[in-house]
Amino acid sequence: MEIIKNFGLNPVLLGAQIVNFLIILFILKKFLYKPVLNTLQKRQSTIKNGLKQAEEAREKLEKVVIEEKEILKQAQLQSRKIIEDAKEEALDVSRKINENAKTQTEKLLNDAREQIARETIGAEKKLALSTSKLAVAFLEKTVKELFSAKEQGEVIAHALKKINTS
Amino acid sequence: MLSFAPETIFHIGSFPVTNTFLDTLLVDALIISGVIYVSKIMNLVPNNLLQNLLEYIIEIFYGLTESISEHAAGKIFPYFMSFFLFILLINWSSLIPGVGTLGFYEKGKLIPLFRGSTSDLNMTLGLALISLVATHALSIKTVGIKNYLSRYFSFNPINLYVGILEIVSEITKVVSLSFRLFGNIFAGEVVLVTISSIFAFVVPLPFLMLEIIVGLVQALVFSMLTMVGMAILTTAHNESH
Repeated sequence: MEIIKNFGLNPVLLGAQIVNFLIILFILKKFLYKPVLNTLQKRQSTIKNGLKQAEEAREKLEKVVIEEKEILKQAQLQSRKIIEDAKEEALDVSRKINENAKTQTEKLLNDAREQIARETIGAEKKLALSTSKLAVAFLEKTVKELFSAKEQGEVIAHALKKINTS
Repeated sequence: MLSFAPETIFHIGSFPVTNTFLDTLLVDALIISGVIYVSKIMNLVPNNLLQNLLEYIIEIFYGLTESISEHAAGKIFPYFMSFFLFILLINWSSLIPGVGTLGFYEKGKLIPLFRGSTSDLNMTLGLALISLVATHALSIKTVGIKNYLSRYFSFNPINLYVGILEIVSEITKVVSLSFRLFGNIFAGEVVLVTISSIFAFVVPLPFLMLEIIVGLVQALVFSMLTMVGMAILTTAHNESH
């Protein structure tokens, strides 16, 4: 008891110090450790998620780049094919147009020739007819004084026959 | 000359307000204001030195607790960290100029207003008792009452004898924890008072530096022993063999 008295042990003071520490323990636990550990955990999960998302984004980007290259390749192939097809089609169309133009030109020429021939024949016929008429008129005037009416008729008929046969 | 017993400054009813208790209240105020300040500046993206430092210390202590007792780190850590912070601040508070020197004279003897409260056995014994009770409470909560009791009581005479020794060691733990802390800090204060009374300037500085280290080491020793004790008792009795 003497030792306890010398060390100043006092149950009330001892209890007060215990209660005091328990209060501090509660405050520290509730308002310091918990928020700090929560913040650390939250930060850790945020960083983890960020890294995961960055990795996913990198993978997606790689995929997109590969897809882009593939699409460009396909587009180049398609464009080349389209150009070749267009060239072939253009050549085909120009060949057809040339052929068509040639055919139409020939047809026009033939039509023109036929028309010219027809018109020439018609003109010749008209000319022959007018010449005959002139010849008949000339004969009628010249033979009128030399031959009788009967002879005149025979000469004219003979002349007409000759003209028509020539 | 310093006495073992703390000096009573005044009474509130029958409660004696001693200079060591006033020192405890001073440290309490410091801790509470620190907690309030930290809770205001806490941010997910740390943008100040204090938060970085605090997170660094807490991470180190939590990592240390996890490395010793992974399964009950969450339960042990608050005690470990609180014992360390509280004891460290109290130990260092006795080195603040004025603590132990500012006071009043009574019967020709200086009664300091503040005195490091770990140089008071009431405080160190209180902390050791909290450590003991918390350790056993955590043990019962973690491993269950049956497993907890099997550590101390057994039908096997050898195990029963070991159990009795364990009970004795638990009691001696309280004595060793409280007297180690009390003895070291009290001795430090005696050294500082003695040296300061002989040499007023420069010479006490190395002893002050030594006391800073002693304060840190004693805080670590107390908290580490508590943490290890908790880690052992929160492991199931059969698993620990």
